[in-house]
Amino acid sequence: MSKAKKVIEEAKEINNPEIDLVDKGISSLDEIPGLFSLENITRLTLSHNKLQVVPAGLANLMNLEILNLTNNHIEELPVSLSSLPKLRILNVSLNRLYALPRGFGAFPVLEILDCTYNNLKETTLPGNFFMMESLRALYLGDNDFEYLPAEIGNLKNLQILSMRENDLIEVPRELGQLTRLRELHLQGNRLVVLPPEIGFLELASNKSVLRLEGNFWVPPIEDQLKLGPSHVLDYLRSETYRVLYSRHMSAKPPPPPQTLDKSKKASRMR
Amino acid sequence: MPGIGKMSLDNMFCTRCGDGFETNEKIVNSNGELWHTNCFVCAQCFRVFPDGVYYDFEGRKYCERDFQVLFAPCCGKCREFVIGRVIKAMNANWHPACFRCEECNMELADAGFIKNAGRALCHGCNTRIKADGLQNYMCHKCHGVIDGEPLRYRGEVYHGYHFTCATCGVELDHTAREVKNRPGYAANDVNNLFCLRCHDKMGIPICGACRRPIEERIVTALGKHWHVEHFVCAKCEKPFHGHRHYEKKGLAYCEQHYHQLFGNLCYVCNQVIAGDVFTALNKAWCVHHFSCSVCDTALSTRSKFYEYDERPACRRCYERFPAELRRRLRRAHHYTLRRN
Repeated sequence: MSKAKKVIEEAKEINNPEIDLVDKGISSLDEIPGLFSLENITRLTLSHNKLQVVPAGLANLMNLEILNLTNNHIEELPVSLSSLPKLRILNVSLNRLYALPRGFGAFPVLEILDCTYNNLKETTLPGNFFMMESLRALYLGDNDFEYLPAEIGNLKNLQILSMRENDLIEVPRELGQLTRLRELHLQGNRLVVLPPEIGFLELASNKSVLRLEGNFWVPPIEDQLKLGPSHVLDYLRSETYRVLYSRHMSAKPPPPPQTLDKSKKASRMR
Repeated sequence: MPGIGKMSLDNMFCTRCGDGFETNEKIVNSNGELWHTNCFVCAQCFRVFPDGVYYDFEGRKYCERDFQVLFAPCCGKCREFVIGRVIKAMNANWHPACFRCEECNMELADAGFIKNAGRALCHGCNTRIKADGLQNYMCHKCHGVIDGEPLRYRGEVYHGYHFTCATCGVELDHTAREVKNRPGYAANDVNNLFCLRCHDKMGIPICGACRRPIEERIVTALGKHWHVEHFVCAKCEKPFHGHRHYEKKGLAYCEQHYHQLFGNLCYVCNQVIAGDVFTALNKAWCVHHFSCSVCDTALSTRSKFYEYDERPACRRCYERFPAELRRRLRRAHHYTLRRN
């Protein structure tokens, strides 16, 4: 009997609602008979395996609250995933996703979505992606975004947004509408200016995180950043900056070059 | 009258007396009913209607005067009868032109009015008077007008000088305080008035929110006393009603808003952390929810973990990250070390 089968048998016996199948060399969920009949489980962790496909049948696990598919070889997610009625945490980081399925944003109660380290960009997000109002954390680091859609302003409950090491050229003013945002990762992008509205977010408290390094900031922002992120926020609120920003936005200078070499990323492997 | 001409006198009878009519006698025809001229009279005074004007009411005919005396409303201002449109307001009837704002004399019939201390006022004057605080109260005892602030007692307003302090006997003014009940006092002893000095000496606590004395249940918190219904969450303003409250910087919050504002919700379950709190990476966890964000393996307080987008990753997972990612994370880590 394979290790995976053993885990399932044990879970059935003791009625364990949390299934750990980490680093079991699984390349297909069809290898694990009986998994989709464990309707009572609330957590399924399949990190560090070799899954290429997530079967639509996974949506049978109606009570699933946490689904962790980190570090697999997944290139596509099933549409049915979004119908999981209780899913709160979905982790699909370290995979090979180039797009998310149509209607992906239909999750009714999703709170944390981790898509770190894939090949996603704004053009491959489904139309309803920013309808997930229940989201409190969105991790999109290590992807290929050049622009962040203005609809990000819909995610009123967002407390954490990571866009670390993408290709962002610009972030929208609507980011300033996320009044509950306490953690913003923008390090390692191609940003030159920030919308002044960011200055009014509560990102300077000792419980907040604001990461801005590794961009192409205009000199005044770069100077403030040397003193610390809270100084940048102070500066963004100033009248001087408001003028600088509107001048910059009307001048539309060409974006800085792409600097990150992504060819070696594991997510690009075929 | 062509109608009568066709009828025979034999079958025509007076509506009042029932007798027939003489040939060549003058006949009154009113809406098809026939009368002797002597019978067509007011139902009240039996006199002929002056100028032929009569009022038909409930099947009887009245002269104008008797109709008004009997049925027409009397105007509350000019005391004349109101014929036509009657304004019923302030427990009286009015001509539309007589019902006016008692301040600015504007007609109120169509503009509407507001009753202010027994007076009908237009909206404008009411607002103004309210703002001026110059409402002239009428003393409930002497029915005289009260200049300035009234003394409020048992739900009525009075001149202060009708009362004396229950303790020191001094004549009172509007600053006097009414005490409705006190612990250790019988019902007869309460509902008394006291001057401010005596009231303060009795040690009745003052509510920290409304600054009025507290005579019912007292909540003591944040170094002050409060009416039960005035001790509220600083965020949602709902009273705690004995439920647990949380203090922060001199303010009290309900459980939900305290944690929402000051961040003691578990990162994983998003619930208020009941037991011990695990704090790291600017976040909080229930102790049993603190786990590697990659493989969901529980981490203990002594576990070594790596920071990855401000989340914990266990050593085993970190080592399984692509080499180029680890290189970048290492560089970022050095950057933060340099900064701090």
